Parts: sequence; structure tokens; C-alpha cells
Amino acid sequence: MKTAIMCERKGTQQFLGMLLVGCLLLPVAAYSSSTAPTIKLFPTTVLEEIKHTGNVAAEMESGLQGVISQLDEQQKLYLESKCEGNEGDPGCERIARQLGKSYLDMLNVMADKLPEMETAVNATSSSLEKRIRKELGQKKTSWTLQELLIGEESGQAAAASQPSLRGRSGMRLSDRFSQYYKLVARSGGKTNSSLAVIASDIYLDMQETSSLIARTREEIARATLMEQLNQSFGTITPEMQEVVAGVKAILFGEELDVIPMAIPPAGPVDYGYESALQM
Amino acid sequence: MNASMKIKLTGLVTVVAITLSLAACSSNPAQKTACSLPEGTNLERAISAARFDLETGCEYEFDAYFQRLLTIAEGDPKKENKASFSDFLLWANDAGLLSKRQARETYNRYFGIKYVSLISDYSVCAQTCPQQSDVMRDMNRELGDKEQGLLKISADRLNYTRASNLYQETELVLEATCEACGPIE
Repeated sequence: MKTAIMCERKGTQQFLGMLLVGCLLLPVAAYSSSTAPTIKLFPTTVLEEIKHTGNVAAEMESGLQGVISQLDEQQKLYLESKCEGNEGDPGCERIARQLGKSYLDMLNVMADKLPEMETAVNATSSSLEKRIRKELGQKKTSWTLQELLIGEESGQAAAASQPSLRGRSGMRLSDRFSQYYKLVARSGGKTNSSLAVIASDIYLDMQETSSLIARTREEIARATLMEQLNQSFGTITPEMQEVVAGVKAILFGEELDVIPMAIPPAGPVDYGYESALQM
Repeated sequence: MNASMKIKLTGLVTVVAITLSLAACSSNPAQKTACSLPEGTNLERAISAARFDLETGCEYEFDAYFQRLLTIAEGDPKKENKASFSDFLLWANDAGLLSKRQARETYNRYFGIKYVSLISDYSVCAQTCPQQSDVMRDMNRELGDKEQGLLKISADRLNYTRASNLYQETELVLEATCEACGPIE
């Protein structure tokens, strides 16, 4: 099963990173189909859409992998040849042009795949939105929602299987989805409380991704034009260098902006004193 | 002469009356003493003192007494403190100082995992989302109370962590749910 990587970076590489989110949905589709939740947040249709989005993202990822490797090699060559500050050198100029061409290829792959990706993400987001509205928004009060989250029905087991949330901003989705996957694989099933959290997390990420795709499509046109101009001069812009660095981080999984998670302390669960006033 | 005597007598009576009134004021610290908040570090003794005062005319100071007891309990954190506060609140209910609901909500605000800020009768879309930020602010305050009750008074780190995680999860799920519910009409 393929997983992809996502991270947030400035400029273009931020968009690129966000777009790989769909690839991460494959494991979710796989494990979600293995259980029959009481609250219907992941019916077959939603799972199919998630799976499709994952496939589209995986295609985009594989399309980008080659060109990104090439970019990495070219940048390495550029640096090893001590071309920085030596832009007038004909050899360096040639490497810079090749690097720029690879960069353009990367933008083209993204431009090709983005419309399909956008459709898939929006469809999934819309389906999930309907389920969340019905199952959590209309069927629950805030009190019963918290009872669902606290996993009252399964006590200790529920407490142990709660996904550890780390907040959405500044964290890599691949880590989060990998965590969800491990959680489910370990427990062999999920509680409704976990499902509600996972559904919420995916939905909010989809919303964010959808808006990023729209912005990226605009950005690609601008970046392509800029690079075409750069090709005429044979220089490597700081923006390109940043993109290449970002792409490396995305592919090779460098840790970025990891937020420490709150986890319960180790040790046996002690239910302790139960008051007659306990709600 | 008679008139002069009358005036003098009236003056004397007035002076005596004023003096007696002032004396009465200065010798009436009983009310003040009766409602003075418990001191010391022993929670059980402080609870006994509070119960006595609250039964003898200081019931309007209930909140202040309760806060003082919480502060005293912080000085000796232990799991048994939960039971002490539970008993105290049950007593307050029996004594007619608090309704059953007030007693339950007060106890759970400080010593429960669930958030009384989330008590509601209608759906999340209808009732909670229109005031989502207020609800989250109330929950945040309640998390502070749980920190005091669970962590600083009861030394119950595990349940405090559960309450803290519940806060984070509720924030995430409410954000998604309210987004899914759509704009407020």
C-alpha cells in the first residue's frame, strides 16, 4: 500500500506538499472497510470516494517521483560544481537550464493531474460533509457528542484506542494517517469515538486541500511563466532552490514542524473514587 | 427653667442613645466572625467550619467558602479529596444550599472528565454551532477548573489527561461538524 507525504512549506512546494494528501487516504480506505460502525460516517460510497482520491493522488505522486529525483540529482551536481556565485560559467549555465527544465516538467505534471484531483477531493469532502452533518450535527447534542468521544461504551478499551491528536496546523498528514492506521491495525477495529475524530480530521484536511488546489492551479500558471523567463537567462532562482529543497523534504520524509502530542501517562488505568454526583 | 431642664434631658438622652448605638456597632463583630472563611491547612477541619457557618446564616457566601476549600485542598493533594468535596456538595444539597443539579454540575466541573459546559438539549447544528466560540471558551475555563480539581487537588493526572484530550477532540470534531452544518441562518 502506498502512502505519500505532505508538508507545509512556503510558496509552491507548500501547494505541492498539500496535494499529495490524497495518497494518504489509501490506508484509511483499507482499514475503514474492515469494521461496521454504529454511527455511519464511512459508508461504502464515502470509502469508494476516498479510495479513488487516494488513487488519483498516488498517480500524481508516481508521475512526480521521477522528475523530483532528477531535480535532486541536478541540484546536487549544481552545488558540487560550485556553481553558486558562478552563474556566468557555461557549464553551470547548462546545469541551471536542465534544472529549470525539470522544474517545468514538475509543474506540468501537477497541472495535468490537478483538475482530476480537485474533482476527487471535492466529491469526498462533500460526501463526508453530509455524513458528519447528519450523524454528528443533527443526531447528537453537544453532551451526547462528548459521550461518544469519551468512548463511554467501551471504558478502558476506548481510552486505550483514542487517536492522539496533534492539531492540524503544521503537521504532516502522512504521520497522522500512519498513526490512525497503526491504531486500527493494533486494535483490529475502531470505536465510534475514533471514527468521529478521524472523519473530522479527514474532512477538515479535505477542505483545506480543496482550497489549496484552487490556489495551486493559479500559482502554476505564474510559476510556469516565471520559469520560462528564467530559462532564457539560465539562472537558478532562490524560489527554485527552495522548491527543490521542499520537494526533497516531501519525498524523503524529513521531519518538519512536528508538534509534541499529549499522551496519557503510562501505567494501569485507575478508575478510583466514584462520586454519587458523577455524571 | 423647666424648659431648660427638658432641653438638657433631651440632649442627654440623645447622647446616651448615640453612645449606645456606637457601642452596639462596635460590639457586633459576631456576624463578621460567623462568616469568616476557614483558615489553616486541614481540609476536614475547614469543611466542618464551613458547614457550621453555612448553616448559621452565611449561606449567601457559599461560593467564597467553596473556593476557599479548594484552595486549602491544594495544599495537600490526594485522591481522597474528591470524596471530601463530593460529601460536602451532597451535604449542601441536603441543607438546601444547592439544588441537586447545581451540586452535580459543581462536582463535575472540578472533578469529572466530562464538560458541564457541553450540557444541552438540542442538536449540535441547532444549539452548539451558533455559539461555538462561546462554548469553546467555557470549556477552556472548565479545563482550568479541572486542572485545579483533578490535578492540583486530587493528584489524578490520568483523568486530567483524559479531560484534556477530550477538550482537544471536542474542539476538532466541533470545528468539523459546525463546518458541515453550514453557515448559521
